[in-house]
Amino acid sequence: MHQVEIATTQETLLDSPEMVLNMGPQHPSTHGVLRIILKLDGETVIDLDCDIGYLHRGMEKISENRMYTQIAPYWDRLDYIAAVSNGLVWVETVEQMMGLPVPPRAHYLRTILTELNRIASHLLWLATHALDIGAVTVLLWALREREEILKIFERQFGARLTCHAWRVGGMPNDAYDDFNKDVRQFVNNFPKRLEEYETVLSENRIWLSRTVGIGVISAEDAIAIGLSGPALRGSGVAWDVRKSRPYAAYADMDFDIPLGENGDTYDRYLVRLEEMRQSRRIIDQALEKLPDGPVNAKLPKIVKPPVGDYYHSIEGPKGEIGCYLVSDGTAQPWRVRVRPPSFINLQALKQMCVGHLVADVVAIIGTLDIVLGEIDR
Amino acid sequence: MLLLGPINVLNDLLLKAFSQETITFFIWPLIQIGLVVTLVALWVAYATYLERKISAFMQARLGPMRVGPWGLLQPIADGLKLLTKEDFIPDKADRWIFFFAPYIAVASAFIVFSVIPFGPDWAVIADVNIGLLLVLAVSSVGVLALILAGWSSNSKYALLGGLRSSAQMVSYEVAMGLSLIGALMFARTLSLSGIVAAQASDSIWFLVYQPTGFFLFLISGIAENNRAPFDLPEAESELVAGFHTEYSGMRWSLFFMAEYAAMVVVSAVATTVYLGGWYFPFVYRLEAAGQHNLFVFVSLLVFLVKTSIILYVYFWLRWTLPRFRYDQLMDIGWKWLIPSALINIVLSGFAIFVVQALDGWRGINTIESLERGLNLTATGKGIMIAIGVAGLFITAGLLARINWRSRDFHLKTQRRNIRLVNVPKGKPAVQPGS
Amino acid sequence: MPLVKTPKPTFAQKLKRFFMIDFIKGLTLTLKYNLGALTDKDAVAGKGIYTEQYPKVRPDVAPRFHGAPRLNMDPETHDTLCIACNLCAIACPEDCIDVIPMDVEIIVAGKPRKKKVLDEFIFDTSRCMFCALCQEACPTSCLELTQDFELATYSRAGFVWNREMLEQGRETVKYTS
Repeated sequence: MHQVEIATTQETLLDSPEMVLNMGPQHPSTHGVLRIILKLDGETVIDLDCDIGYLHRGMEKISENRMYTQIAPYWDRLDYIAAVSNGLVWVETVEQMMGLPVPPRAHYLRTILTELNRIASHLLWLATHALDIGAVTVLLWALREREEILKIFERQFGARLTCHAWRVGGMPNDAYDDFNKDVRQFVNNFPKRLEEYETVLSENRIWLSRTVGIGVISAEDAIAIGLSGPALRGSGVAWDVRKSRPYAAYADMDFDIPLGENGDTYDRYLVRLEEMRQSRRIIDQALEKLPDGPVNAKLPKIVKPPVGDYYHSIEGPKGEIGCYLVSDGTAQPWRVRVRPPSFINLQALKQMCVGHLVADVVAIIGTLDIVLGEIDR
Repeated sequence: MLLLGPINVLNDLLLKAFSQETITFFIWPLIQIGLVVTLVALWVAYATYLERKISAFMQARLGPMRVGPWGLLQPIADGLKLLTKEDFIPDKADRWIFFFAPYIAVASAFIVFSVIPFGPDWAVIADVNIGLLLVLAVSSVGVLALILAGWSSNSKYALLGGLRSSAQMVSYEVAMGLSLIGALMFARTLSLSGIVAAQASDSIWFLVYQPTGFFLFLISGIAENNRAPFDLPEAESELVAGFHTEYSGMRWSLFFMAEYAAMVVVSAVATTVYLGGWYFPFVYRLEAAGQHNLFVFVSLLVFLVKTSIILYVYFWLRWTLPRFRYDQLMDIGWKWLIPSALINIVLSGFAIFVVQALDGWRGINTIESLERGLNLTATGKGIMIAIGVAGLFITAGLLARINWRSRDFHLKTQRRNIRLVNVPKGKPAVQPGS
Repeated sequence: MPLVKTPKPTFAQKLKRFFMIDFIKGLTLTLKYNLGALTDKDAVAGKGIYTEQYPKVRPDVAPRFHGAPRLNMDPETHDTLCIACNLCAIACPEDCIDVIPMDVEIIVAGKPRKKKVLDEFIFDTSRCMFCALCQEACPTSCLELTQDFELATYSRAGFVWNREMLEQGRETVKYTS
């Protein structure tokens, strides 16, 4: 555990104006094992430092000793809430590096299931964010919706959370028999539920007092730090990898990206709610346009991308998740590097928190939507 | 008739051993105290059960179901579990204060029930003529327990958490006391039974005359009990530990029981002062019909139902609304509730002045007789209700004036809209070598 | 000092603020849920109770579920379908599978030949990720991940399954009340 440098005076608790407070790794609101050291002046935060690494599992190093098809399950465990998107990054990187053509039905099914995953991840974000701020009922309602999505994942992939959804070249199994019916039912029920969450939260004056003007980050700062995903779009920057470099079937999909104005917590909350609506729209279109055909391509006996390096990224629910793959021509990669969106988003925490009260730190961590699995790998 | 029999029989039995005086002043009160303590203890225990069930239903789930049919034995199971836990006192803690703090909290919550009128005749333990003052004073002693608990735990964060909790409770007590004065002006007595009798004689609930007072009392009562949406000191035990961190087992459960008992106290006082206590218009006819004990019994039930409705409001608010931040909380207590309470007092006095002045002109008949309560005629009641409702708007206007600089003021009910942008698509991710 | 600019409220917004419409809307919704929990039967689209009272009610597990592993046997001859090809052990990213073959003598076209058959099969479920790469690798559909998800044991050794446990499966305790 490294020593964290926060300079502090030597006076005792009740004499000095500054106090160092440790939001330790075991904490109900840090969404994982994150340790934050706060320097407080009364209740106001004047300095902040994060201590990460409690969930480091050496995934990138392990990947150097596994075959390309064996690495896919490890990617699920990065952002374990959005395992389907993570799997997609890896599989698409390998496919594109090898020049493998993926059948269109697989592309469309990938789009549908990745968007379902985005809704599931945003629902969990909403649940935990509302819980931290105090509205506990929304937690249970959002988890109920998420449960429906996880049931679809279980029937399609065999696992609810860490799905190992995709294989290089497509998917292992075609859509199960009731797939269309289940997804259709979810898509029909969902807008009403979103209305319910909005009724309880969006105009509630307590919610507004807790989130408006909290954790503001300007567009220039956001771009300078390298934020991505809803954190960036909440500040008004129109950047979405699904639009700028479309992958899977997104080039054929018609959807909008929501943009915030002020870059505060409330804007990011509205942006994510709207993203869930746009995801629903994408799923609707993709279900209509779903072509027939095979779902996986013919693979060589051992998957071996040519020598070289390649970077590919997709728009995960937390931000832009990317994979930088260096291959040396053998069956095992030379280097696998993950571009973790939560890690980079976390760099903005200090700027967002300084000047706010201690109770706001919890809300700001919630609005950045971090997952420690991704930060620590 | 039903209950008169056994009471007389018991009385005769006791007369064999004691004098009638001893029985009236010693033995009956003991029996009443026993009944009330049992009732309140059961009520508190099942309030925890009801909270779990009601919160579960609001969240589309079931709540406790395994222990007993429909989970009804859950509070008993919880109690047994807490009794059998290890009872340890931290090493450097101040032993005696640590020991006594929970008892002070529970005692101050339970003592209040001795003056609350559960029913008309024998359903009050002690009809003291400064009842309301006693209620407020004894509830304030509960704050002492919090400070002592935080201090004696010898933990930096427990101390800070305890201080914040008690600062919140003290601020809201001012608002609570001031908000009751409006209703007191109409009842003209501090005795809780007297307040109910004042409402009964007017056949009105003071809620109708004093809507502002009722809301103020309820909101400050909720904040007093550290319940959501004002429960940051408790819930933020994530960050700065609450005062009861170092407590475990039965000691912690005493704090827990004290919290729920205080909730029941505030509900009971709100019922008594604003919702008419045990008074319900149609039940009064039983008294007229001569069925005295049945009347008392039904009034008891009426009181329990009204208090339970307000307890439901407590649960309802907790599980719907998010939490206030601490500075916003203190803001509301000092800059919103106390000015509203003061405005309420002024308006109530003004209302009484208007009613009496109108009566003095002999043109309009507003008061029947000034014996008990206000005793108004229908016109008088109409004027009072009108002033009560106008008071809401006047209070809101004045509060807006006072708080016009407040940061959060303009945020309320202003949902922002997100703009949707359709950015032109870029080139798809290119495959290398093509 | 507001950190963001908020516009001054209109009269309609002021009225909504006075009558606490935002609170009332939220509170009515929770009240509807409270009443719906008692009356509504539809949990997925309506306001009914969503709880599944496990372990009284067994959940509906999907056919493709990646659960406990099982070695399938031929339904007629009751011989194992495993041909000891070791593909599952090679496919596993976590090295949890150990396939121990043995040689037996069989007669093929009158001549004695050696054939490799399965002797022992060790599967460490505590290391297993349930990624199903082994199930996909198996050429004879012998190794299959079933719908059994209750894999807890009281000791670490209980997680390591041998051939017999894999072929017969485990007993799950069924609660009746």
